[in-house]
Amino acid sequence: MALQTLEFTFKSEATQAIAKPWSHLGVTGSGDLEVLMEKKDLGGDVKAKVITPVKGFDQVWERMLAKFVNDTGVGNVSIEINDDNATPIVVYMRLRQALAEAQAEEAE
Amino acid sequence: MRSWNELETGSFFDANARERAVGMVDKGSFTELLGPLDRFMSPHLPVLGTAVEFDDGTVTGVGLIGKHPVFVISMEGKFIGGAIGEVNGAKMVGSIRLALKTAEELKAAHPDDYEERRPMVVISFETGGVRLHEANAGLLAHAEVMDAFQDCRKKLPVVSVVGSKVGCFGGMGFVAAATDVIIMNEQGRIGLTGPEVIEQEMGKEEFDASNKALVYRTTGAKHKYIIGDCNYLVEDKIGAFHAALADVAAKSMEEIEGMRRIGSLKLVQEQQGLVKLVGDMQPKDSMDLWKYYGNEDPAELPEMTTEEFLKVVKRRVRP
Repeated sequence: MALQTLEFTFKSEATQAIAKPWSHLGVTGSGDLEVLMEKKDLGGDVKAKVITPVKGFDQVWERMLAKFVNDTGVGNVSIEINDDNATPIVVYMRLRQALAEAQAEEAE
Repeated sequence: MRSWNELETGSFFDANARERAVGMVDKGSFTELLGPLDRFMSPHLPVLGTAVEFDDGTVTGVGLIGKHPVFVISMEGKFIGGAIGEVNGAKMVGSIRLALKTAEELKAAHPDDYEERRPMVVISFETGGVRLHEANAGLLAHAEVMDAFQDCRKKLPVVSVVGSKVGCFGGMGFVAAATDVIIMNEQGRIGLTGPEVIEQEMGKEEFDASNKALVYRTTGAKHKYIIGDCNYLVEDKIGAFHAALADVAAKSMEEIEGMRRIGSLKLVQEQQGLVKLVGDMQPKDSMDLWKYYGNEDPAELPEMTTEEFLKVVKRRVRP
């Protein structure tokens, strides 16, 4: 019944930090999620915390997040996700969008 | 997020709560208060197994229009239908109280040109009313917001902005009606009981919620504009809302008081006159009322663009 909190730590090889101190993307809508990324000195690691109503998908979360970290080479980043039943591919897409937002120059 | 320039020319209907908040005030002037980083979330939803959001579904902050500080409250319909609970309700009330405090401080600091710095509260409604997961706290929030409106009366304008997917329904329909000014785009809808609920309780013969044309004729902005519930009907651009807000900010408090729907004996009598009219004429459709107010061909009105509509429409003349 209660919400689940999942926490993961990933070792990153490339450890590319994000440009902004913090960045936010998305809305916790049905089948969607929001991502909060913060630049933090984690010795190169990526920490992820997921709050979700869905049970039994801990391994899927771990693999999706690991893929994101490996594909992008980010490091020293804390990622927090509020999820409302997003599918794995939506999770991956939102993470990539959130990273793009965290790296973006402020446009006019 | 899209840049301010893109937001200004972009659709209000398609924008999320944060984009609306940023785009409705002057370029680069918006500062969010209790944003995602503050993680000010509902304590009730986790125990009920319902997903949470860092801003509890409502973006609050302050920006500028000219010299006017504008306290923006912007609701996100994608998060639990924009419903109001304890935390986002408190964010609403806190923003209005902050506007009042700012008004007093500015009045003391600038007694000669206070009018041009007079603060304004702007609420972008996208909500079905009370969040049922925390219903008592949500109802209390509605009452506190209405109370705060009364404190603002004749001191600073409180403006409703309605033009998002969910519309403005339930208790928040009352709240919007209690503000000084209402600005809508064509897609905007205001009501108390939502169409689906009326159908469920009273039957399809009473109100067919799947008939979108009927729903818009009854709750939509064009109808509200003709009846006088909506003060400004604007194009579906965030910039158009920004311009209408600038127009309100430039008005005197006396003019703004004159745009209200409720809140005085005279206005109650005006509303009673409307109730009597509806009782006497027994309209079968909003179009009957549109015709009564001088629109010879009411069936044409829903088909028109906002621009065409504004050129030809006849509205109820207020006594």
